[in-house]
Amino acid sequence: MLIIRLYKQHISFKLNILAVAFTGILLLLLISILLLSLINGTYQLSLQDALLSLFSQKQLISDPQASLIIWDFRLPRSLVAILSGALFAISGAILQNMTRNPLSDPSLVGISQGAALAVVVLTILFPEYIDDWREISAFLGAILIASLIQLLRGKGRPLKFILLGIGVAAFISAIISTLLTYGNLQSAMTALSWLAGSVHNSNWHDVSILGVACLILTFAGIYQARVMSVISLGDEVTIGLGINLRKTMVIQLSISVAAAAIATSVVGPLGFIGLLAPHLARKLTHSGPANHLLLTALTGAILVLIADLIGRTLFAPTQLAAGLVTSLVGAPLFAYLLIKKQT
Amino acid sequence: MTRQQWLSSTGLLIMIIVLVMALILHLSIGTKVISTNELIQSFYAYNDENFNHLIIQELRLPRALIAASVGACLATAGALMQGVTRNPLADPGLLGMMTGGALAVVYWSSFVNDASLIWLPVVAAAGALFSAIIVWLIASRAAGGMTTLSLILSGSAFTAFSGALLAIHHLLDQQTFEEMRTWLVGSLTASHIETLYWCLPWIILGLIGSIILAPSVTALAMGEEVAIGLGINTVKRKWQLLICVVILTSAAIALAGPLGFIGLVIPHVVRFIVGADYRWIIPYSILLGSIYLLVIDSLARWIIQPQELATGLITVLIGAPLFVWLVKVRVR
Repeated sequence: MLIIRLYKQHISFKLNILAVAFTGILLLLLISILLLSLINGTYQLSLQDALLSLFSQKQLISDPQASLIIWDFRLPRSLVAILSGALFAISGAILQNMTRNPLSDPSLVGISQGAALAVVVLTILFPEYIDDWREISAFLGAILIASLIQLLRGKGRPLKFILLGIGVAAFISAIISTLLTYGNLQSAMTALSWLAGSVHNSNWHDVSILGVACLILTFAGIYQARVMSVISLGDEVTIGLGINLRKTMVIQLSISVAAAAIATSVVGPLGFIGLLAPHLARKLTHSGPANHLLLTALTGAILVLIADLIGRTLFAPTQLAAGLVTSLVGAPLFAYLLIKKQT
Repeated sequence: MTRQQWLSSTGLLIMIIVLVMALILHLSIGTKVISTNELIQSFYAYNDENFNHLIIQELRLPRALIAASVGACLATAGALMQGVTRNPLADPGLLGMMTGGALAVVYWSSFVNDASLIWLPVVAAAGALFSAIIVWLIASRAAGGMTTLSLILSGSAFTAFSGALLAIHHLLDQQTFEEMRTWLVGSLTASHIETLYWCLPWIILGLIGSIILAPSVTALAMGEEVAIGLGINTVKRKWQLLICVVILTSAAIALAGPLGFIGLVIPHVVRFIVGADYRWIIPYSILLGSIYLLVIDSLARWIIQPQELATGLITVLIGAPLFVWLVKVRVR
């Protein structure tokens, strides 16, 4: 255990050395999988070429295609996978903590579907605005659905939040299917490939949006981390410890919804990442909430990166959307968690 | 007969009359509206020169019969599940049986070369049974036992899993996607009357079984201990009921694809009318389920003429808000 005090104890925090070590290990793991994902694909590259083109040593590269493939296709794609994974994971971690239910997940409780509905409506009914308004409309859709569910729930238990979410999600899926079936075929196909949760159309614009969002929301999450650990003790305790519960809830729900909505707006609804990443991170080591959030974000990033890597290499040249892979792996793990749940 | 029984029997009679009216509505409405006179004429004085008679007998009647039987099957299956699991939110779709059956049908029709209609209900049944058992096992192993939440969560996890498998299969095999696309949303457009012939024995078997087993469902709905105390072999009876549910659900899947939320909506409406006695709930569910799906399917064909909406979309659009309302009222 390591305690750090800075600026006359204005900033002080406790570090669990094991957790810090795990953060480092996960970071290394992430980088090595990133390299693996850069060299693998329909067009195989050598590790040397990949590294050289990453560091812009053009004259030393043996393969003239390498630089193009890495900078225009694989690097943005992998970065989008990493960043969206981290965002989904942060969203799930905050949501689970807030609802005090280990089974909450943005895609299970209607938040992802809200974002999805907004984007699909935009794609099919107003295709001319899609490029400029995608992120904002996704966020608005998600926050609308999240507040609707909160409103319906009233003072009920977290159980209600999940069940209501499932109902709302089914309703929204039906509207989306209606739009897809009866909308313009061209836009429907665009919307459909986005809905499968895919990162294959990523470009640097997406990377920059996700990067900024990830940076801001991670810091916001870490800033909220102390309150998070108090909230997990229950509403009464939280109020008793002098925290403005309503305000905190609004802030945390906004962070969670924003993270899920932005990630959804770029890659589509990826299932189960927000559910699994916090659990896997907790399995690794026990740590303070801030460090747990970092571990969770890293885990989410690794999960989506691996899902994308598997999705595009397993049945090559057919590409499976990353969202399908995460659902295939995530659903059984979810069932396992359901059986193991000790609450 | 007591007053209650008189009332319920009269209600049953009214239901049958309404069913006939719904049938007439379904047959006469459409892109070409056909008068009731001509409709009745086509039954007793069929004339194959008359185009309207042809439309009714060849196109609309098969579809109406399929809609009525699918509605009856799903409503009954939902009623049985809600009674046995004592779970007001049980529904064949929510518990993963729909997608399980659909997945089995899709795999079967793309991997087996001579995919004939005879085995369609059986294949769907195998898939539905398999998924029901998996969902049931996961839910009963969950901490806290088999609760509303654990059943629905394991159901939605299974649905997500089989949904992903379906999507992958579509990506790899475009041709079956083309053939199966309308069927997978839950639609009565592509249904053939031949499928109904092969499903009808199963449907009758399932419905009769449910009516026979209905008294013990009433006992089971009061709790396991009560049922045992009344001398019911609960394990054996639950298996029999599960088989009934699976037969009914899979017949519906084979006929119309996964139609969501019918099994959830109808039993609640029925319980509102006749109370908690499953001897009445089951026959009422059969009739009301048929009426409901006939009306919904008429709507689906009527709203955006001359095209038509997929019926499954409308059932979800109506059913999901009801589900939300039920959660709000019934879950504390």
